[in-house]
Amino acid sequence: MSHSLEVPSHVAGPVPRPLVPLARLLAGVNRVVLVAGMLALLAAAAILTYSVITRYFLKSATDWQDEASVFLLVGATFLCGAYVQSYRGHIGIEALSSILPPSVNRLRVTVVDILTLAFCAFFAWKSWTLFHEAWVEKQTSSSSWAPPLSIPYGLMAAGMTLLSLQLLLQSLTHFFRGKETK
Amino acid sequence: MTPLALGLLFGAVTLIVMFSGMPIAFALGGVAVTFMYFFMPASSLDTVTQNVYEEMASITLLSIPLFILKGAAIGKSRAGQDLYSALHVWMSKVPGGLGIANVFACALFAAMAGSSPATCSAIGSAGIPEMRKRGYSSGFAAGIIAAGGTLGILLPPSIVMILYAVAAEQSLGRLFLAGIGPGLLLVALFALYAVFRYRKEHRAALAAYEKSGTASAYLDTTEYTLKQKVEMLPRVVPFVVLLIGVMVALYGGFATPSETAGLGAILALVLVATVYSVWRPKDLAPILSSTLKESTMLMFIIGMSLLFSYVMSYLRISQSAAEWIVALHLSKWFLLSVVLLLVIVLGFFLPPVSIILMTVPILLPPLKAAGFDLVWFGVLMTIVMEMGLIHPPVGLNIFVIKNVAPDIPLKDLIWGVMPFVGLMFLAVFLICVFPGIATWFPDQIMGPGK
Repeated sequence: MSHSLEVPSHVAGPVPRPLVPLARLLAGVNRVVLVAGMLALLAAAAILTYSVITRYFLKSATDWQDEASVFLLVGATFLCGAYVQSYRGHIGIEALSSILPPSVNRLRVTVVDILTLAFCAFFAWKSWTLFHEAWVEKQTSSSSWAPPLSIPYGLMAAGMTLLSLQLLLQSLTHFFRGKETK
Repeated sequence: MTPLALGLLFGAVTLIVMFSGMPIAFALGGVAVTFMYFFMPASSLDTVTQNVYEEMASITLLSIPLFILKGAAIGKSRAGQDLYSALHVWMSKVPGGLGIANVFACALFAAMAGSSPATCSAIGSAGIPEMRKRGYSSGFAAGIIAAGGTLGILLPPSIVMILYAVAAEQSLGRLFLAGIGPGLLLVALFALYAVFRYRKEHRAALAAYEKSGTASAYLDTTEYTLKQKVEMLPRVVPFVVLLIGVMVALYGGFATPSETAGLGAILALVLVATVYSVWRPKDLAPILSSTLKESTMLMFIIGMSLLFSYVMSYLRISQSAAEWIVALHLSKWFLLSVVLLLVIVLGFFLPPVSIILMTVPILLPPLKAAGFDLVWFGVLMTIVMEMGLIHPPVGLNIFVIKNVAPDIPLKDLIWGVMPFVGLMFLAVFLICVFPGIATWFPDQIMGPGK
């Protein structure tokens, strides 16, 4: 399901000057995170393969493999959310963009970006609260391996924060472009 | 506010927000959180992230990125073209064999890669030019590939079925097996149609030749020697072994579905490394990054859809909608037709993952009350969603083919896929009349279902 086709053309274009440092910073972080995500993906696949081998051939019990893979994959998913947003890879129904006049459409995209930012910022904030609780109370998962829950919660919080920053950059871009055209 | 009124409001707000163009994941999450704020206890907002995490932290759901990785490893290598060339050579003697080779190549590739668009682009990039070179009409060539690609979400391991298994609380192993019979039925129907269409176009080409003396490429025949045929095998056999190996691991009791996903991904990477020398970091990076792009997008939709369904269920919207449908006392088959029609309409706008997670809590109780087998229904729902991949207005596969063969006019493409939409309807009808097409195989292997 490649969704590169869904990238709306009206959001392309250079970043306004005042936002260049933030854009560069986010692009750099996203690159690092993408590499980390790739490694996490490979590690999860390797761990599950190892799980089959140990259980079936070495006859030893598997306890931590599923959970470790969940942590890796949850981490990869949330951390890469901002990277996917950077090229607008989170698909939406773009039916209106071809019907509306360009000026109304620009307003629509701006409002949508700000609302998306509001939701993601709220989610990021609540994720940090969750992380804080898990950290302070030393919460662990209920399995026999019992790893700290602050690990996946922290990854979720970091990922959603990064995503919020990406959306902030995109929302501010509309604002600065609006100013430039005036 | 009554649950029904609340449900209507919830539905209306969801529609407005989705059509505003907000990414589906955030639209679903945003609507859920807004309704939590207004209609649920304040404490529910505090646990919203925990809720999403707990729903998502299922190893069954998280096998999705690994199945995508397996598909990407195969999809980004030359495996598709090789598979296609081998089938083409082996089927060259059969009338209409080229069309059949394309259908088979799509089915095999779809089963290995588990993705419809990846299948369309891998098999289509080799198959469409070859078919057109041999005189096949562009629409027909494109239609075969678009329709063949849809087998990706029906044949195991199918991502859509993983989600259905989670949402409907059905056995994933049984669902995977239940997809095989209908998958083979569709392959047979597509192949028969390919032969029928070939004979029609061939007759027309022959008539034109007799009348005007200009021979179309349709009338050329190429013979391949046994040596040429055997030479094609070494590159294809490993992938067929992978396909069988993964199924054996899953059904032989060696591995759980999620372990199968991990094992399949590693085996696929090892295979592309040995057969196509794809092992350097710069070769692996495109495979891994395309996997992350797709799986992140999907997992966000899945996580937020789960939050959305949770709110729907907490506010008793899903239950009252389901009770309302049951109270209508619709006849069994009328109910099924209405449900499938709804899925078709939703397929115009939404990807299968969100359709399943949003509608299953509402649709399954009435279907269960009407006495339908839910595994069987999962297969039916999947085929109907497959149609959404090839029919306008969205038809993702149509756009993938437009990328592979940009010179085919959109009109030809759409007319080319329409007969296949008809064949899919026929398959749905046949599976309704003969439910055994879906249920026989899992019953044989796993014993009769509940």
